Amino acid sequence: MSKIIKPEEGESFDIELEEDLLKANAKIAEENKSLLKRHKIIAIDIMGSIGSGKTSLIEQIVKKLKNKYAIGVLNGDLTTTIDSDRVRKHGAKVVQINTGKECHLDANLVRKALKELDLDDVNLLLIENVGNLICPAEFPLGSNKRMVIISTTEGPYMVLKHPFIFMDACVVVINKIDLAEAMGVSVEKLKKDALSINPRVKIVKTNCRTGEGVSDVIEALDL
Amino acid sequence: MHEYSMTKQMVDIVVASAELNRAKKVCDIYLSIGTFSFLNPEQIRFWFNLLKKESQILVDSKLHIKPKKGLVHCGQCGYKGGIKYEDDPLYHIVFPTLECPKCKSMVTIIEGREFKIESIRAVV
Repeated sequence: MSKIIKPEEGESFDIELEEDLLKANAKIAEENKSLLKRHKIIAIDIMGSIGSGKTSLIEQIVKKLKNKYAIGVLNGDLTTTIDSDRVRKHGAKVVQINTGKECHLDANLVRKALKELDLDDVNLLLIENVGNLICPAEFPLGSNKRMVIISTTEGPYMVLKHPFIFMDACVVVINKIDLAEAMGVSVEKLKKDALSINPRVKIVKTNCRTGEGVSDVIEALDL
Repeated sequence: MHEYSMTKQMVDIVVASAELNRAKKVCDIYLSIGTFSFLNPEQIRFWFNLLKKESQILVDSKLHIKPKKGLVHCGQCGYKGGIKYEDDPLYHIVFPTLECPKCKSMVTIIEGREFKIESIRAVV
């Protein structure tokens, strides 16, 4: 691992570390991925700002898919169990991950949370990341797909100002389309922005309060 | 945003490998940070200068940060190089895109997301 040149007393020497700290996370993410694959679990990482509608979308997906899949949900937050309580009542197996101070979930926290689930009893895992459009992009968790949700109430620049999170996404959900007009935000422009950053991404428009567009999200995720 | 936790991890690794190599002091730490990462060198320095005071081994050390340029690769035409940027005159925003600058296919990021401790210089 480390190449060491032995020095004399008082002499300086170099230690080659070549240690990538982000690789450590990526490696655990790969282990999570193979663990999930062994248990035949499809995992989706859901990322978005605070208030974009991550939990509402998860509630809607669980409602629609609970008879087709045995659903597990990991809810990431700094604190509180508000989100996991919301999701649990729809019949999913829920583990709350409270990061305390961290701005994102990392692969190690997900690995720990997976120990709390009976993996043979789950075949779809929805991972709700901490509300943040910046840091989660840096930390893969081991999911099969990453989905980003933005909402029209966050204004017209959400995509262009956070390009990296859209580079990793397979699906982008534009939520609260019912409020677009009141906000003076063009949904088409948000869509165009996302496609110019990531030409292959699938884009779905939703209103997660009513459930409008949720079937399209499910289709876009191939579920 | 997560500079504190990353800097703390970095400091722990540096101290551990210095101790392993029986070093009394670390003089220099060489980092490379990818330009596609979300780590701000200025904030890393800020946390480092606070954290190093907690360790006798690190207290006199200096941090050297080398930015590492981002690289993308196109599976279609074989392009390897910098990412393409687009300028939206409507918003005055320049943003990176995953479109190949040569053939317009989609590229993948191959370098530029690392946060790496390259080496440290220590005294016995």
